[in-house]
Amino acid sequence: MPSQINSPLPSGFQLEQYRIEQQLSLGGFSIVYLATDDQQVPVAIKEYLPNSLALRKAGEIEPQITEEHQAAFRYGMKCFFEEGRSLAKLMHPNVVRVLNFFRANGTVYMVMQFERGRTLQDFIHRNKGHIKERFIRGVFTRLLNGLREVHAHKLLHLDIKPSNIYLRNDGTPVLLDFGAARQTLAQDTPMLKPMYTPGFAPPEQFNDRDNLGPWSDIYSVGASMYACLSGSAPQRSDERIKKDLLEPATKRWAGEYSIHMLETIDWCLLINPLERPQSVYALQKALLTRSRHIAPKPPTTLLGKVGTRLRALLRKS
Amino acid sequence: MKFTIYQESRPGCRPNNQDRVAYSYSRESLLMVVADGMGGHLHGEIAAQIATQYLIESFQQAAQPQIRDELMFLSRSLTNAHNAIVDYAYDKRLPDAPRTTIVACLVQNSVAYWAHAGDSRLYLIRRGRTAAQTRDHSRLQLMIDQGLITEDEALHHPARNRIFSCLGGTHSPQVEFSSATPLFANDLIVMCTDGVWGNLEGDEVVDYMAEANILEASPRLLSRAEARGGLTCDNLSIMSMRWHDDYADEQPASISTNTMPLDTITTKMDGFGRGGRQTEGNPLSENEIEAAIKEINQAIKKYSRFDSR
Ligand SMILES: Nc1ncnc2c1ncn2[C@@H]1O[C@H](COP(=O)(O)OP(=O)(O)O)[C@@H](O)[C@H]1O
Ligand SMILES: [Mg+2]
Repeated sequence: MPSQINSPLPSGFQLEQYRIEQQLSLGGFSIVYLATDDQQVPVAIKEYLPNSLALRKAGEIEPQITEEHQAAFRYGMKCFFEEGRSLAKLMHPNVVRVLNFFRANGTVYMVMQFERGRTLQDFIHRNKGHIKERFIRGVFTRLLNGLREVHAHKLLHLDIKPSNIYLRNDGTPVLLDFGAARQTLAQDTPMLKPMYTPGFAPPEQFNDRDNLGPWSDIYSVGASMYACLSGSAPQRSDERIKKDLLEPATKRWAGEYSIHMLETIDWCLLINPLERPQSVYALQKALLTRSRHIAPKPPTTLLGKVGTRLRALLRKS
Repeated sequence: MKFTIYQESRPGCRPNNQDRVAYSYSRESLLMVVADGMGGHLHGEIAAQIATQYLIESFQQAAQPQIRDELMFLSRSLTNAHNAIVDYAYDKRLPDAPRTTIVACLVQNSVAYWAHAGDSRLYLIRRGRTAAQTRDHSRLQLMIDQGLITEDEALHHPARNRIFSCLGGTHSPQVEFSSATPLFANDLIVMCTDGVWGNLEGDEVVDYMAEANILEASPRLLSRAEARGGLTCDNLSIMSMRWHDDYADEQPASISTNTMPLDTITTKMDGFGRGGRQTEGNPLSENEIEAAIKEINQAIKKYSRFDSR
């Protein structure tokens, strides 16, 4: 069955105590709306609506789900619940807040605090190649506070990328979209395959899921920082394994950004999970250190060793 | 002998369950086994099954009604189980040898003996404290022992499940044996795979189990570990056994072997192919949907109490 475009609920639609204002985004798995609650407070509402399984025609409210897709639709709902479950436990200024969860129109809805601003993805597009180091350090240091909270709950995000990092108007970041649960759960349900953006996922997410850990989210953080500099996603990690064409940040932007930040980015993007920062804390420490004399943990590859020695020489001169 | 025993194994979030648990007892002897298989294509499951089955069958033959030499029995049957797995791999021309961790505990005359290879654990809990515990045969444990990393750092370390000793595989196993350990009334033995202890903190096994009714506390402990394991939760298995005084009053749900005929053996072992996580076959029911929504809203409420904004 070819994927179809689902119609959003019309603006003005009364969904329980919320009034739909407009559609904010349409993904393969869900639609996000801006709505207002009965106190006129704006909220963001995510509607579970996988477009390979459910069809809402223009002018209709209840999506149609054919008999053959019923089971898969229900199964995907489980994944949507996982997202709600993860978020409900997390209370952090840099993680999006869930306010309510309910069932209506034959599907389920998650209500979140509405954030004003735009995604980092948007920001990168508009400022291609002109993002300042101060900004990057500021955004990611705070974002990592949120990620630390996620990991402290033994959860992994597994879909960190610029379009899931939201920047409030005051510049503080919010981590969105904990829907990666569907990646784990839906592995053997092809109809629910996530439409994730390759380039931000670490190699172990493709072929070695037993080795997923904090370092996997850290790879994605590094890839997102890299994208801030380059303006686009880095080479996909499953291809890097075969032939690594990713130019190290230290080489590509030498002189334009501090060697220290560039080294930190390259550290996160190492293919071997063991060689990356092992915890968010380790990475934060590196990001907060401004002194160039304290290099992040020296890379253990031969190439890295030569690089470290070269840098030491440069510093002396 | 009088004891209460509980065993359970869950797939976690994995498509199949490569863990195995089993126990068997005669009138005067009890054997408990926990195994955690490793290797792709269900091979881990086969290794764990062969090892468990081999140990249980050896026990059934030897416990008439007592085992003559406890440590010798453990040593021999573990070596033979290893060979059985290697033979199987050879017969089937499997490219990579299936492997399994093992921890086995034998109790008779109120004395416990155990042996293990790998990182499945045994805890002996006495009066609310860990009186003895197996040491993992993992690289990580070696690193901790040598002071290269701290226990906390180890918690999230990717090499946490690399082990250097197991049954099957290309090297002969390095099995570690306990000394003869007398059991006292109310002593508790907990055996589990890394899916359980790896998702718990420091003393949680003791905290949850020490004073509790193990028939209730064991599944609760599993649920706790499973919740903590999150979306990638490994298989989890537990075997817990509370030892009772022979003269104690009859405990509810406890097993007393004193009235068993001399030549009878009772075994509890699950077979092969108890599937893993159900996917397509088990979509959410209406009730489950309602329950999930209720649970999420309760969590939202509970956590927003701490909201300072
Ligand atoms: N709480 C929110 N406040 C404001 N905008 C949001 C919020 N949640 C989501 N959005 C918008 O909707 C888009 C998609 O949301 P996301 O949770 O990433 O869903 P999907 O699973 O469809 O990717 C985001 O990129 C963002 O633009
Ligand atoms: Mg998204």
